[in-house]
Amino acid sequence: MFKRSDESLIEKAIGGDAKAWQQLVSRYQAPLYYFGLRLLGSPDDARDLLQDVLMVLCRNLAQYRGDSSFKSWLFGIANYRAMDMLRKRKATTEFTDDHDFYDDEAPSFEQQLYGQHTQRLVQQQLRSLPPEQRLVVELRFYQQFTFDEIADQLALSSNTIKSRFYAALDKLRTQLELTDVEQSANF
Amino acid sequence: MSNSQQIFEAWLAGKITASECEQQLDQTSEWYSRFQTAQMIQRQAKAPFFAPVPEIDTMSMFAQQWQRPAKTSSWWPKLSVAFSVMALVVSLSPLELQMQDSGLTLSWRGGQQMQQQQLETLLAGYRKEQQDYIQTQLQGTQQQQASQLILLKDYLTEQQTKERRTDMLELVEYLNQQRQSDWHYWQENYQPSQARLDTSAVYNPDQQRSGVRKP
Repeated sequence: MFKRSDESLIEKAIGGDAKAWQQLVSRYQAPLYYFGLRLLGSPDDARDLLQDVLMVLCRNLAQYRGDSSFKSWLFGIANYRAMDMLRKRKATTEFTDDHDFYDDEAPSFEQQLYGQHTQRLVQQQLRSLPPEQRLVVELRFYQQFTFDEIADQLALSSNTIKSRFYAALDKLRTQLELTDVEQSANF
Repeated sequence: MSNSQQIFEAWLAGKITASECEQQLDQTSEWYSRFQTAQMIQRQAKAPFFAPVPEIDTMSMFAQQWQRPAKTSSWWPKLSVAFSVMALVVSLSPLELQMQDSGLTLSWRGGQQMQQQQLETLLAGYRKEQQDYIQTQLQGTQQQQASQLILLKDYLTEQQTKERRTDMLELVEYLNQQRQSDWHYWQENYQPSQARLDTSAVYNPDQQRSGVRKP
């Protein structure tokens, strides 16, 4: 079926078309929520972030000029809001296993068993990164943005983004190796 | 930017495959480790995420910000405007609304006049065509009559000549017959008398002196 472009949906929504707005929201609601969930580590915070971003989006819908892709523009808002929330929150508020945001009604048992375990491990390691590095990893791997797009969103140079990205990779590598050693020792 | 970094970024951008990147970064442990870590995170990023997305009432946000109350307008003014426009169109255009024989007729003004003009044009054309035909027929008849008169004159002249010749022949024949009969009469009535006279008078052997000859 023909898929309307984000631009045409925005145009219609500005004209008062509720269906276009609904379509636009449904297109980005899940990616935004999962972005918040991974970055903030808490479903409540992710929900707050989603609501906040959607509200800002609704208010500033007419501000989108089409200079970059809508997704990039939207995640620019989400990045700013998420970093603001992280700054306000205590640095010590780390994600714990109590915040299990993986749905137990996953399609397959094997997927749950293998996928959730590895995902949890990776998520734990990601959450141990400094917020700036975590954000770059999230945007590069999960949202598929290029380094230049991330640099535009965060108003930083591409080299700064790359150095944060490589620092994050190095740190993750060290942590994963440590985890492996710990698990082997425990076993 | 080092060569290894370029290779790694080319893989990230999807320009080279993972196996190509792995082969090329095999010698540099730092970049190889980064590549392996990135590959693992990438695999996790592509895995489906099953956490349910919370419902947020975005419609009320939207209604508050962008939706305007629908205008409640009566349809009378619209109908009035529509009829006014229709009346204007009817009055300006050559449309004609007529009431004839208990019925309404919508027609183009000047239709009859146009028909009359067309009829007159057709009749004029027909008239001219007929006149041309009659003229042609008349000329043909005149020519035919003239040729027939010439033939008649020739015939009459010929007949007259024939009759005249016949008359002359008859006259000549009649004259010849008269001379013949005169000769017979002379021979019967006068020759014997003459002969008797001649013999009684002087014998003349030359009879040609008398000047009479047998025809």
